[in-house]
Amino acid sequence: MADHGLPLDRVWEVFRQEAQGDPMVHGGSVRAPDAELATHYAREFFGRRQESERLWVIPRDAILELDDPDLLKPPFDRSFKRPGGYVLKHKLEAARGRAGTPPARGSDEGVE
Amino acid sequence: MTVAPARSLGPTESAALAELLLTLADDEFILGFWDSEWTGIAPILEEDVAMSSISQDEIGHARAWYELLAQLTADDADRIAFGRAPDEYRHAALLNHARGDWAHTVARRLLYETADAVRLESLTGSSYAPVAELAAKMRREETYHLLHWNAWLRQLTAAGGEARDRLVAALALRWSDAQSIFAPLAGEGILRAGGILPEAMAALQKRWHERLGQWLSAAGLSLPGPATDPPQPSTAGRTGRTPDFAWLHSEFTLVARSEEGATW
Amino acid sequence: MSDSPSPVDPRAEAFYAHVGSGGKVEADHWMPDDYRAAILKFVEMHANSELMGVLPEREWILRAPTLQRKLSLTSKVQDEAGHAQLLYRVAEDLGKSREQMLQDLLAGKTKFHNVFHYPTRSWGDVGIIAWLVDAAAIVSQQALRDCSYAPYARTMKKICWEESVHIMHGRDVVLTLMNGTERQRALVQDALDRWWGPLMQMHGPPTDPARDRDLIWRIKSKGNEQLRQEFLSIYVPRITELGLRIPDPGLRYDEAAERWIYTEPDWDELRWVVSGHGPMSQQRLEFRRLHRAETQWVRDAVLGPVGAAA
Repeated sequence: MADHGLPLDRVWEVFRQEAQGDPMVHGGSVRAPDAELATHYAREFFGRRQESERLWVIPRDAILELDDPDLLKPPFDRSFKRPGGYVLKHKLEAARGRAGTPPARGSDEGVE
Repeated sequence: MTVAPARSLGPTESAALAELLLTLADDEFILGFWDSEWTGIAPILEEDVAMSSISQDEIGHARAWYELLAQLTADDADRIAFGRAPDEYRHAALLNHARGDWAHTVARRLLYETADAVRLESLTGSSYAPVAELAAKMRREETYHLLHWNAWLRQLTAAGGEARDRLVAALALRWSDAQSIFAPLAGEGILRAGGILPEAMAALQKRWHERLGQWLSAAGLSLPGPATDPPQPSTAGRTGRTPDFAWLHSEFTLVARSEEGATW
Repeated sequence: MSDSPSPVDPRAEAFYAHVGSGGKVEADHWMPDDYRAAILKFVEMHANSELMGVLPEREWILRAPTLQRKLSLTSKVQDEAGHAQLLYRVAEDLGKSREQMLQDLLAGKTKFHNVFHYPTRSWGDVGIIAWLVDAAAIVSQQALRDCSYAPYARTMKKICWEESVHIMHGRDVVLTLMNGTERQRALVQDALDRWWGPLMQMHGPPTDPARDRDLIWRIKSKGNEQLRQEFLSIYVPRITELGLRIPDPGLRYDEAAERWIYTEPDWDELRWVVSGHGPMSQQRLEFRRLHRAETQWVRDAVLGPVGAAA
């Protein structure tokens, strides 16, 4: 009766979508004897109050996890990959000063 | 809950419809009560929550039928649900029995849900719009019930041994009383003539035997009892009562009757 | 934490500094044994309480006097069973099997909260429990949303959201009774008279923050007394505005001290009850044992051998 030789009772992670267009977000986990009941239980725990648009149900052991800080937060500077890594304010003020112009509308947005 | 405008009915048609609605409502109400007893003590915690949802669905469906009946008879849904003597209830004999063990519960659900599915499917063709509409709405919720009990049918039969034996025994035990779901109604002729009931109960019963037979054979089981053509009439019908039901009735009316006319 | 000198474990030191400054811990992070044991004990007792908490109200599901009340009450009790599942899942991921936890509960080796050791006597109890017991629980649970152990903190957020509905249901029942007949109002007052004592004990005796490991390790973020004061501040006015009488003549708000003064709860009673000597403790555990035994064949059939269960 086991699925593909795996233990009869597995942990299934459930992801849910709060509203149309939203990303799938982890809700929690259920135990179930098989995939069919896992979907029923996912519906019960994360959808019985009509609170979800959609659910994904995945056996926990199908999830590949990455949490190595060397991969996710390596030590060398990577600020060039993020908006905060570009400091433009002083250059913009200098350029306006040289041209003698007032700030264009919206031009300062996002400038640090 | 808005219901489609209904064509007007004469007194005999109205009385016949009232009887039909009472059978539909009482079936859901009593089954919902028995199975709500599993809340907190089901075999698996996750299943506890699922079973409770399914029981709540039945109470919700019962409420819808009682409300329609209340409109028809100028009464109140709670009064109808809680205010009758035991012999005034019209649920099928199958529902006279306590919930029993998990196998009995699953067996009764298998028998009832498949029968109810056939019944509701037919009622979606009713000439009385509110009935057709409610039946269609309920079928959408019942899809989940059918999937769920089929999953348990597979689980218990595939497990073999004691699990399968208990299920088979429970199905056999309740087969006869299950026929009472299709017990002929007092005003069946009138309901058929007016198209409120699109098909005779006997025809629905036959279709139920076929569908249930398919489900069970897919799980390696045969029908729990003879499926004659025409089906054997039910002896217990919808009026026989049991000590189990008398107990349930005294429980669910306990608070409601403790103070006459009070609001709860 | 320990009085005797022990070799300093740098890994543990770093861990405690991390949680002490608000850092979070996930299920697969390394944890000192002390912390793991403490959080597991905390979560397990909470899970046990939700499971046992089903029983006092469950009796009334069959007796609910209207279709709407039947739905609301069944739904509420269903939620408690659901919360037990959520919490046992958290505890399972800390390394203890569900089967072992249920066995320990039923053998009296682990505990559940005091309020679930008392009987329910009427529909008035149904209202008071859903309103005030759940309210007192929510006060604790809101504080636990900041727990250092992240899986538990996340579960608390979900539980708090779900519990808010229960309080509405409870308050609806109470208000309907209070607006009803003399006898119905008497049901509520009688229930309040019996439940006030356990409610005041529910958050536990005040603890010394310097020695309370649950506070130091940020498993809890608020002390017991603070939680009780919060509960009183919100709910005493809401109770008295209905014309109900709180059965503690010593209860009053001290403006100068900015705190509620009340008759000291009987902490011996709390200890006695929680260790299994409450009026319904043994009966409820026996009820659970019976039903667990009765359904064992189902678990054996569909979940495989008990030992293999996660």
